[in-house]
Amino acid sequence: MPGFMMSRIAWRNLWRNRRRTGLALTAIGLSVALVLIYDGMLRWESDWLLATTTGPMLGHAQVHAPEWRRTRAMDQTLREVPRLVDALRRDPEIASATPRVYAPALAALGQEGFAVLVLGVDLAEESRPTRLLAGNTTRLTGRRVLMGRLLAAQMGVQPGAVIALVGQGLDGSLANDLFTVAALIETPVDLVNRQTIVMPLDEAQSLFVMSDEAHEIVIYARDPARAAALAARLNGRPDLGRAEVLDWQALAPAMVDLIRLVEVAWVFVLVLVLIAAASGVANTMLMATFERTHEFGMLLALGTAPSHIVRMIVLESLALGVIGALLGTALGGALVAWAHHTGIDYAALTGGGPSQLSVFGMNWSLRIYPRLALIDIARVVIAVMVTSIVASAWPAARAARLQPARALRD
Amino acid sequence: MTGMLRVWASFVVTIAMLAMPMRAAAQPRPPDVDALLARLDDLYRSTSSIARIEIQVTSARSTRSLRLKAWTRGEDESLIVIEAPPREEGTATLRVGANLWNYLPRISRTIRVPPSMMLGSWMGTDFTNDDLVKESSLRKDFEARIDRRSDTPPGWWVRLDVKPGVVGRWARIDTLVSDDLLPIEERHFDRKGRLARTMVFDDIRMLGGRRLPAHLTLTPADTEGQRTEMRYLDAQFDVPIPDDTFSLSRLERSK
Repeated sequence: MPGFMMSRIAWRNLWRNRRRTGLALTAIGLSVALVLIYDGMLRWESDWLLATTTGPMLGHAQVHAPEWRRTRAMDQTLREVPRLVDALRRDPEIASATPRVYAPALAALGQEGFAVLVLGVDLAEESRPTRLLAGNTTRLTGRRVLMGRLLAAQMGVQPGAVIALVGQGLDGSLANDLFTVAALIETPVDLVNRQTIVMPLDEAQSLFVMSDEAHEIVIYARDPARAAALAARLNGRPDLGRAEVLDWQALAPAMVDLIRLVEVAWVFVLVLVLIAAASGVANTMLMATFERTHEFGMLLALGTAPSHIVRMIVLESLALGVIGALLGTALGGALVAWAHHTGIDYAALTGGGPSQLSVFGMNWSLRIYPRLALIDIARVVIAVMVTSIVASAWPAARAARLQPARALRD
Repeated sequence: MTGMLRVWASFVVTIAMLAMPMRAAAQPRPPDVDALLARLDDLYRSTSSIARIEIQVTSARSTRSLRLKAWTRGEDESLIVIEAPPREEGTATLRVGANLWNYLPRISRTIRVPPSMMLGSWMGTDFTNDDLVKESSLRKDFEARIDRRSDTPPGWWVRLDVKPGVVGRWARIDTLVSDDLLPIEERHFDRKGRLARTMVFDDIRMLGGRRLPAHLTLTPADTEGQRTEMRYLDAQFDVPIPDDTFSLSRLERSK
């Protein structure tokens, strides 16, 4: 029997019982739509997790003096930082590079001292979207600083207040000066909100007697997925000297685990949904073969090869799966597109509560914008097709083993 | 065979027992530990003291000197004023009990050091703020005993173990004290039992009518090339010190 003819017969068979086929298609379609919606949310979550993890603080890679990560000692600095930053910014794989100074200090409004971290940064660079000070418009000139909002609350500092900062200069001298708090900041990084005073890099360098030194250069790669390879390549660059370059995955292993967890979560849902789809297909096809026992007996008696009957049943079930998957893709895709456009307020869905969560020292937004990649759709459609074929095995085997004489009597 | 061994063993034990009293007789008797600690506590301080001290901080990067004047009264009050270099002149630290204030003349501010900064460096030296505050609580926080005899240099190792329930940086402090009851060396062990730093006392001379080591070297164990040396230039003991010396208003006039 030629293939196209078999397909036509299979197609017609499928619609002999419209209600049953319709129900099976609805079940498969809804399952597929569900998987896609869930995938869309996961994909957004892992993208967003990566952006939130690397964006404000970590970057995709960091350059340090070799001992800095272990000791965090003030004097473990990178030298000739302007030259290093320039060289890094010229690298074709690097989107941007920005130096930072980290200095522990004592801050006081009145007589009470508070332990703080002074963060010296390139203000323009750190104020870009998704960076630490995203949205910041305050310009800092002449001993003006930004202060974490929670630290300010603890110290009783209002914008405009003059605070004393005392620390240790790199030459061992006592670094101390008065600064005006220009504005309070609220960043995605808890530590910064709780403990940090931000000042321009050159101001920090002069307060702590650091000349052209810094503790860290944060690198943003053009392709974040290639961060590890980029870090490995930079480590071999002679102009970086003894400096150590690490990608964000080496710097924050806990975040890597979290992102991996999110990335594999789709498998569980897919398996659950496919079990439902498989039982739907198997049930429909089994019913269909049971009621056609007489017909199959006739076909066999007329000399049709059992393999033809098997092929027909497999084709019917495959058609059921594919149509269901396409309907589901259309529905799920449309819902994800709509949600991507408007965003979903997770907080409202879970019954109010805060619009931000602080976990792992980062503040997480609860408004989500799911999105899908082609791979998500391909994955689920192929999975449903495979499931349909597998689910047709039992009904097909049963039909193939029919005894024509007995089947005809049924 | 075993019979032979047993004979040998008893022979060795007998010799050892005979030898022990002879060794003990050759050594001075161990000092009374409480009296010794009291003496060590009192050594550089007495009921009151005024001293001028030079401090040199050596690190892998740089060397830096400070000259300062220090007043103490009893166990709870001290005032330290930096006299040189000019850049830091007039910078002062006042301690009353567990409280520590720094006065910074450059910005005319007095700032109390918060508990969270107690383990931070004092004025860029290897001494911590905590060292200034805790200097008098050894006898209170630690259980002391004479640990062993040292032959070179001759003296006694005194072992201090932190008492249960005491919160602090050190689990154990070993002090080597000479036979004339002056400190030679101090080893500080952290809460994990690791040697964290060593303080060596030398250059014994007469200062303010007392014989004491005038030169102290503090070496942290974990940072190579790093040390802080302290040299007493002169000292007076048991002199009257005005009451208002240890007050915030005096702190701000410390120049």
